[in-house]
Amino acid sequence: MSGIGSEDASHVEARPPARVAQIWRESAFAAGVLALSTLIALALRSYLAATNLVMVYLLGVVAIAARCSRRISLIASVVSVAAFDFFCVPPYLTFVVSDYEYLVTFTGMLVVALVISTLTARIRANVSQAMDREARTQALYQLSRTLSGQTRVFETAKAATDLAAEIFQARFVIFLPDEGRISFRKRTSEYLPIPMAEESIAQWVFDHRQKAGLRMENHPEGTAFYLPLRGSREICGVMCILPRISESIFSPEQQNLLELFADQTALALERTLSQKAAEDTRLRMETEQMRSSLLSAISHDLRTPLASITGAASTLRSQGEKLSTEVKNELLESISDEAERLSRLVGNLLDMTRFESGTVELRRDLYPLEEIVGSALQRLEANMEGRAVTTLIPEDLPPVFVDDVLIGQVVTNLLENALKYTPVGTPLELAAEPAQDGVILEVRDRGPGFASGEEQRIFEKFYRGASHGVRGGGLGLAICRAIAQAHQGSIEAFNRSGGGAIFRVRLPSGKVA
Amino acid sequence: MKPLILIVEDDPQIRRFLRVALSSEGYRVQEATTAQDALAQAAAHRPEIILLDLGLPDCDGLEVIRGVRQWSTAPILVLSARGQERDKIEALDLGADDYVAKPFAVGEVLARIRAGLRRSNAVASGPIFHFGQIEVDLDKRLVKVNNEEVHLTPNEYKLLQVLIKHAGKVLTQRQLLSEVWGPNSTEQAQYVRVYIAQLRRKLEQNPARPKHLQTEPGVGYRLVAGD
Repeated sequence: MSGIGSEDASHVEARPPARVAQIWRESAFAAGVLALSTLIALALRSYLAATNLVMVYLLGVVAIAARCSRRISLIASVVSVAAFDFFCVPPYLTFVVSDYEYLVTFTGMLVVALVISTLTARIRANVSQAMDREARTQALYQLSRTLSGQTRVFETAKAATDLAAEIFQARFVIFLPDEGRISFRKRTSEYLPIPMAEESIAQWVFDHRQKAGLRMENHPEGTAFYLPLRGSREICGVMCILPRISESIFSPEQQNLLELFADQTALALERTLSQKAAEDTRLRMETEQMRSSLLSAISHDLRTPLASITGAASTLRSQGEKLSTEVKNELLESISDEAERLSRLVGNLLDMTRFESGTVELRRDLYPLEEIVGSALQRLEANMEGRAVTTLIPEDLPPVFVDDVLIGQVVTNLLENALKYTPVGTPLELAAEPAQDGVILEVRDRGPGFASGEEQRIFEKFYRGASHGVRGGGLGLAICRAIAQAHQGSIEAFNRSGGGAIFRVRLPSGKVA
Repeated sequence: MKPLILIVEDDPQIRRFLRVALSSEGYRVQEATTAQDALAQAAAHRPEIILLDLGLPDCDGLEVIRGVRQWSTAPILVLSARGQERDKIEALDLGADDYVAKPFAVGEVLARIRAGLRRSNAVASGPIFHFGQIEVDLDKRLVKVNNEEVHLTPNEYKLLQVLIKHAGKVLTQRQLLSEVWGPNSTEQAQYVRVYIAQLRRKLEQNPARPKHLQTEPGVGYRLVAGD
């Protein structure tokens, strides 16, 4: 397999300008050092034996080898021997040697210079490799730390590309599959830096689990590199890498690191995917369970009133003539009562369903709470049975930013609830007061209060308090909670000192339109 | 002869019980099941009051209001399903007089019909208007509660005047705004609420449980003249 952007023959001549410049810089440095060594050798020539001047040149070679590439330092080694012969060995300024002993000096000098160059280059390579390794470890560590905190698939992919872009100085995009197909629409970057047509390359990578793209065996026509994100079980996506400058290529170490990077990202993606799948399954099971408990609760609540209605109506029809007016009236009354109960139950169920499906749209505006409470009380007038309801609403209470119909329903439900669960004749109180960032509304009664632990459960669907023959769907308070939450408010219940219960609704003042 | 009522409703069961209930009260009844039918019958029989279901099979019940209002001022009582506040408001804005929400009791429908007929037959009843402890002299612009004069600001008085003019009828916020503040201020629903609250404080015994200036949640307001 070819590496990413590896230097194959056809691309050797196309050396990037940066490298040409570096070769020139190094050559100039080497020439400078050799010239300096020669000047020093010339200055010392009259005082030192020629063989000792060799040291000056060798020092120069060390300096060159420390800074420049191996090739340049090898050339410099040979040139330094030639310069030594030319300037320091009599007769001067010729390559002619008077004393053949110098041949030994030359050979020794050349060997030492070459060894120095080679060793220094190797040390430098080792150092740079160690630094690369260090950088790589650092990068991978950074990646795994970044990804470990992510819980969502898309954010994981986004975090990986952001980090990769920083480390590799290239543009990264991850494409995620949608029902088994790679889609350029499901990507981590807002802007798509590659042509739409390359979607097929990404798909190929996804299908074959092999890299492809720019200067690679497969699909070299691409403008970018495509790496498969291979998890332990399945392929989670395709990583696309677009170098900033199209000619720039990645070194083998970088390619290696890139692939490690892709593997790590794939594992992280796989982890978040399976987390999501587990979460979905849990949700589905909960929904399923809720649905079945809902069905059993509803079927009972719907059947009872239907049975009474059918029974009463059929009695009236078949035995109408034989019944006394009193009995007839009783049957008629039960028909209309039960029908009303059914209608309320169906209405509550519809409301609950609408809240749960999230289709309720709040029509918020500023309303005086007094008005909302007033119309709720007016609606309940008939059911009050002469109960004393005290309203304590300060005149200067700021208006609340709510949906008046829905909050009216909260008040109605709470009052209805209080009427149902407290003994006839006990007083009710409806109080409001400004609170930090909003308004608090309380419905207080003097009924039996809550058994311990019940305060929370009463807001659950189909929960019914320890009732004494009370009938109802167990939805009223659940709807109250749904409405309060839709307003970014809250509802709670607790026992009242001196006996009874308090339901407290908090409504945020909301933004003032 | 008792007044003629046109029932526009597509559900046969509801039509049947309305027919039985209304006939037994002595009203004459015509029935229509579609909007087209309703418009034709309204033109042919000139009913004194129309009971209108908004959800009709051929087109929107609102079309019937639009059509009838071009030539008739007969009261239109809308029969609406629960949760159709927006439709209710639109129907009222188009000229419907009142609404009852389904499911409704016959007694309620009969009461609304009587109120509607009373309003449409009302002759100008003189300058003094009474409701509960409140007396309004529309000539002298005097408002008294328990025989004590109450001072109202010009806008408060104007609002009260509009409510009295349509006593018993639901008025949408939009209708109140355009009658009191002029047709260009229909977006400032705030005004109405603030002024209603002030009127309640000045006129009602318990402003939190108003007897006369009643709120129709999500729709508007109604002046209830009875005690």
